Amino acid sequence: MNTLTTINELGFAAALQQEMLEDTTSDHALLEATRTGDQDAFAELVSRYRNQITSYIYRMTNDYDGAVDLAQETFVRVYRAADRYQRSYAFSTYIYRIATNLAISELRKRKRRKLVSLTGFFQQNDGAEAQELNPPDARPLQDSELVDTERRNAVQRAISTLPEKYRAPLILRDVDGRSYDEIARILETSEGTVKSRISRARGFLREKMRAYL
Amino acid sequence: MRKNNCEVIRQELDELMLSETGSARVVEHLRECAACREFNEKQTRLRQIVGSLGTVSAPPDFDFRLRARLANDGGGATFHFWPIARRGLAFAAVLLVFVMGALVVRSVFNRPQENKQVAATDQHNNTPAPPTVAPTREPTFARPMAESSPERRPQIVRNERLSRIKRPLVAEDFSNERAPVYNGREPAGTFEVMPLDSSLQSFKVSLDDGRGNARTISVPSISFGSQRMLQPVNQYASKRDW
Repeated sequence: MNTLTTINELGFAAALQQEMLEDTTSDHALLEATRTGDQDAFAELVSRYRNQITSYIYRMTNDYDGAVDLAQETFVRVYRAADRYQRSYAFSTYIYRIATNLAISELRKRKRRKLVSLTGFFQQNDGAEAQELNPPDARPLQDSELVDTERRNAVQRAISTLPEKYRAPLILRDVDGRSYDEIARILETSEGTVKSRISRARGFLREKMRAYL
Repeated sequence: MRKNNCEVIRQELDELMLSETGSARVVEHLRECAACREFNEKQTRLRQIVGSLGTVSAPPDFDFRLRARLANDGGGATFHFWPIARRGLAFAAVLLVFVMGALVVRSVFNRPQENKQVAATDQHNNTPAPPTVAPTREPTFARPMAESSPERRPQIVRNERLSRIKRPLVAEDFSNERAPVYNGREPAGTFEVMPLDSSLQSFKVSLDDGRGNARTISVPSISFGSQRMLQPVNQYASKRDW
């Protein structure tokens, strides 16, 4: 009996220690530490999210250098607003929301600038952003890796032609694998709207990717 | 009915994660409906392709660049003064424009008043004196002189302006007072010679427009020596008094 109590106590202590360890390394705790001037805590946050955010913005904008710049801007904003951060949402929701807003702003800026090449005129005028003409190669490829690469490029191009309101939920769901609830919180809209937009986005993609399906 | 059922099944399929299997109803429907089966296959394939995009890595110097950017932003805090200063300058410019505008408007409104003043002065000089009545008190020469003096001009002008802007007038009106009457029957030497004040002190009239703006008109002392009073020549007086 005495031994069992000791084992139970040991187990409880280990669980408590584990919980405390998790708490000190949670995103919230790291941001709290950043607020108090702990640069290492912020570096840890950056190392956790830099790839995810860069990748997400890259899928949104289809421009790697621009995506890196915007990802950095995202972290700068997180750092500056650390004092105003509220723990009502998960940190990932918070940082993805900032990244989404930046990416959408960039897409709108581009639309205003109308930085498209002459070959962009050959695109369908369906309200989507004009892109370089790059039709799928119909010839059979020998190497399956090349086939996959070509398919991925095609789908990336197809995604970048989607209207921005469909693009973000589709990427968050099908590329990042996030739940509808989380996507709704990131995009600050209802779950029903998210589901409907994702369904529409897939419909658009099916049309554009018909040759690959 | 079947079409509606297909739509419901497809919606349910759409909401599933790739790794998830649908409900028994969905599985059964897929077994029976070829169109939905084809839809599911294409949809799954599309989602696999999209999911295969994976994560793009950030460049190796990401942290370094981020640190540099944060350091620059921190160092650039002094530049935050400029937007505030710019806003202040803009406000001052707007204020200046308003003040200038007010001055211009004021000068425009004042200009016709000067013309009116001249006109009013001329009119006043041609206006006949009011009929005289019997004196009720000792004549004072300062008031009639002040009444007929051209130095009353500013008050007239101000009266006009004040009546135009409908403000209460604070002034003394002499028109209702009886003027002294001289009928020549006074003992000799009483009023034959009217002494005029020839002291060195100047004659001063102070006017107030009712808004606290006072104006003092100073008339230098004038000496006429002595003046002989003529026989009744007051042409403006009522005939029945004579």
